[in-house]
Amino acid sequence: MRRNTSTWGAEVAAVFAKEWRCEFRTRYSLNTLALFACTTLVVVSFSLGPLGVSRSQGTALLPVLLWIILLFSVAAGLPRAFVQEEETHTATALRLAATPSALFCGKLLYGLTLVFALEALVTPVYVAMTSFNVESPGLLIAVLAAGGYGLAVGSTLVAAIIAQARSKGTLFSVLAFPVLLPLLVLTVEVTRCAASGSAPDVALPQLLLYDAVVTVAGLMLFPVVWNP
Amino acid sequence: MKKLLAWLLWLWISLVIVGAFLYAPLAKGFLGESSRILFFHVPMAWASFIGFIAAAVWSGRYLFGRRDPRHDRAAAVAIELGLVFGVFATVTGALWARIMWGAYWNWDPRQISILISLLFYGAYLALRAAVDDRETRGRLSAAYALLGLVVTPFLFWIMPRITYSLHPEPVINAQGKVEMEARMSQVLYASGIGFTALFFWIHNLQCRIQALFDRRAAL
Repeated sequence: MRRNTSTWGAEVAAVFAKEWRCEFRTRYSLNTLALFACTTLVVVSFSLGPLGVSRSQGTALLPVLLWIILLFSVAAGLPRAFVQEEETHTATALRLAATPSALFCGKLLYGLTLVFALEALVTPVYVAMTSFNVESPGLLIAVLAAGGYGLAVGSTLVAAIIAQARSKGTLFSVLAFPVLLPLLVLTVEVTRCAASGSAPDVALPQLLLYDAVVTVAGLMLFPVVWNP
Repeated sequence: MKKLLAWLLWLWISLVIVGAFLYAPLAKGFLGESSRILFFHVPMAWASFIGFIAAAVWSGRYLFGRRDPRHDRAAAVAIELGLVFGVFATVTGALWARIMWGAYWNWDPRQISILISLLFYGAYLALRAAVDDRETRGRLSAAYALLGLVVTPFLFWIMPRITYSLHPEPVINAQGKVEMEARMSQVLYASGIGFTALFFWIHNLQCRIQALFDRRAAL
């Protein structure tokens, strides 16, 4: 069946709206993500001490910790996206109602807003608590956007894969981390450049390339993962 | 015929081993006899690479073809073997690093890349173990293997650009030239052919064993 773009767009919007409506009923992901991020933030900031780290050490160390906090918070909240459909037995209805690509994009948009909200919450607090010195804030925002997108798209695809397997919780971390590690290497590198004010030669284009490649892979693989 | 080929393979690999120690000269700039590990380390890394590529091809054929269980089995076996060869390549690399760099593990970009790839394909096996239904297992793991094909090249591509690597130039370097003594490259290529054949021979045996297991499970 061929659908025109306006109904496809409407499907994406419907899936996106449904995700947020379900989310506001339980607030499971929101609470988990926010609390997890705050707890880790406090632990990191506390263990670094009241004076933080010296500026040169900070440039090397603080970007890594920031991205570890973001990665683990995402891993705590995002896998629910598809697991919940299988657990509440709504997956079949969803298979009938939406085209796979529209469903993937809707879920991705939901994940994306969640990750961006998380970043908007965590990053300013992190910068303030650890006295993280950022030379080029524009680059930091760019890397948060590109890195956050990569985290969302990678986790959405892996979440779809694990939803149909057993032992979903631990399996997500096992499957998602090797996929997200190249992304993290790049985001940490670009964040370091943002902190020191140097130009991120190849790392930023590669980060965008990673996002593009995983998006294409997701759009191609999701229909076969989703439909038995 | 198959038996003859297996004996030929045995003979070939034996000759490679003899050649690696007695025929090939030592490479310049390497401590002691350490350069001889090249004849085993590089072909094993190569066999592991073949395993992962072949697994992606079989996964693609399974996923976008007629969902033939044979393709699923072939992909899974190729990844298992790729992991075995990958672990051997890592271990031989670490032994060599102990001699040349002074420590088994240095977080060299090559070591990081292979470690993360091994983690990825280890996760593939974890995924297979976590799905009971055969069709679902084939479908999900094939999708994951194809995801690996697009994600892991980033590692081998990014890592050397971000951190400094001590790893010797790849066999075929940036200029596309082979800078090696003729006798060394002969043994290396012979070893590469031998390990490739070894990979496909074990792969064939293992696929047949798995097919028998599946048949017994279906009874």
